[in-house]
Amino acid sequence: MKRSYFALPYTVWMAILIFAPMLLILFYAFTDESAAGGVVFTLTNIIEAFDPLFTGVLLRSVWLAFVATAICLLLGYPVAYMLARSKSKNVTSLLVLFILPMWMNFLLRTYAWLVLLDNNGLLNSLFALLGLDKVQLLYNQNAVVLGMVYNFLPFMVLPIHSVLVKIDKYQIEAAEDLGADSLTVFRKVIFPLSVPGVITGIMMVFVPAITTFAISRLLGGSQFMLFGDLIENQFIFVQNWHFGSALSLIMLVLVLVSLALTNKFDKAEDGGRLW
Amino acid sequence: MGDKHLIELKNVSKTFDTTEALKNINLYIRDGEFLTLLGPSGCGKTTLLRLLAGFEMPTEGRIFMDGADMTDMPPHRRRLNTVFQRYALFEHLNVFDNVAFGLKIKKLDKDEIKQRVGSMLELVGLKGYDKRTASQLSGGQQQRVAIARALVNEPGVLLLDEPLGALDLQLRKDMQIELKKIRQRLGITFVFVTHDQEEALTMSDTIVVMKDGEIQQIGTPVDIYNEPKNAFVADFIGESNILGGTMLKDYSVRFSGRTFECLDAGFGENADVDVVVRPEDIKVVEPENGMIAGVVKSVLFMGVHYELLVDTGEFTYQVHTTAKYSEGQQVGFVILPDDIHIMRPSEP
Repeated sequence: MKRSYFALPYTVWMAILIFAPMLLILFYAFTDESAAGGVVFTLTNIIEAFDPLFTGVLLRSVWLAFVATAICLLLGYPVAYMLARSKSKNVTSLLVLFILPMWMNFLLRTYAWLVLLDNNGLLNSLFALLGLDKVQLLYNQNAVVLGMVYNFLPFMVLPIHSVLVKIDKYQIEAAEDLGADSLTVFRKVIFPLSVPGVITGIMMVFVPAITTFAISRLLGGSQFMLFGDLIENQFIFVQNWHFGSALSLIMLVLVLVSLALTNKFDKAEDGGRLW
Repeated sequence: MGDKHLIELKNVSKTFDTTEALKNINLYIRDGEFLTLLGPSGCGKTTLLRLLAGFEMPTEGRIFMDGADMTDMPPHRRRLNTVFQRYALFEHLNVFDNVAFGLKIKKLDKDEIKQRVGSMLELVGLKGYDKRTASQLSGGQQQRVAIARALVNEPGVLLLDEPLGALDLQLRKDMQIELKKIRQRLGITFVFVTHDQEEALTMSDTIVVMKDGEIQQIGTPVDIYNEPKNAFVADFIGESNILGGTMLKDYSVRFSGRTFECLDAGFGENADVDVVVRPEDIKVVEPENGMIAGVVKSVLFMGVHYELLVDTGEFTYQVHTTAKYSEGQQVGFVILPDDIHIMRPSEP
């Protein structure tokens, strides 16, 4: 028996869970129901999806995902760096503390922010206590970005941390030995060596951020729609699977393009990456 | 090699948590010499090197370079460069950028960097390898890059931490010769760490033998080999027969049930001593012509010579001989006064 047969279950799994749904999306996106009740090939769905109404939502999604990713990187890198370089014995528990929220349900975590940010919520009560005016914290872009950052930050920290801890300490010493002060060591050795982790982190934050729909609905309110909400609406409420598929296809292409772009920046050939 | 003391360590100790890695080290390194720190693993030789490089701070004592105290100076400001045990080449940079690293930090002129890196790569025999990355090089080539990367900065001292440990025997021999050549051309002081006594003997001007964080002996390779100060040094440097004996009076020692003439004096009368005889210093003769006699227990062919284990009753001698003997054969030994080394017994 050839060894490759052992991969058969995996192949079947992939076919059922990945290729079949993708083919279905392709099929629905390029078809429509004819008046006779049959199925006809058409490009209308795709063309309609490029209506400014929808591209505006798409652009907003891309922008918010970009902002959230940037904030995650700015917050996550220092955290990952400190965790990686800390000599404290509590590092593991700190790391677990960081991952802990991920074990809770995603929606539950996001609902928790409602309680915090609501007009009569914890933060505003605190403001009132301090004699400050109430601030509208929910149902705006900031709340959505906050939700994204909160939910996806661990996905930025973990890959960067895992790359940073693997950096050969002798390479750092070699840099010091060759005359680099600590800032130069970071700039010329540590950061370049951590780039694969940064790339992975960016992908792992950007992709879910751009496709999210629950966060925007809960924290952004119904008036604040992202592309993910748009797709969800088409399937659940409008029940137009053909148009929903066309939108999904556009999203898919967008994600693939952004992955290809980030991969191009990642010059490292081996090691360091999560996959 | 001048007489100037380039580096001086005064009463240097280093303690990690509860382990004493170095105990009160006093040592000077002369300008231009090849000094080797030799000892078994865990003897503190690498710690000593890391103190010199600045990666570790001494718990006690001061380190001077060119007369100035550099104990608290961070590594990047020291005029020393290190060749690491596992080379520690920058994975994200190619050969040229690895070697140019130090020069770029000094913000030298681009053309000068190019010229100096080029000539250094030529010196280590890697001309034309500029664009390769570390993973595309063999162990020996990586080692050369590591050496070039350190030397291109024209350091006052080059520190080498077991740089040849990961190479196979033939490559190691070649690199030993090359390192010696490079040093002769550049005249830089080398501080070399190794646990390989043969490497230490062939390459060094001065050998510092260490054990358990303490210096056992400092001397030229010839001194260390011929006049080991104690049984540890004798055993670590080359092979030795070490046996207990009694110094009857000056120039007369008794061991193996017989009194021998020797060249040592000053131990007092009837003093317990350690006697060291090198295996190659024992001459094997017919049993009736020997000073002591024994039975050959085993014969090992070693290439150049045979290694015999000869049981004389109270001690089993290791003997090197070019003539072949067979197991069970009766043989006699002649040991000349010159070949008997007397030392104070090591502490139990």
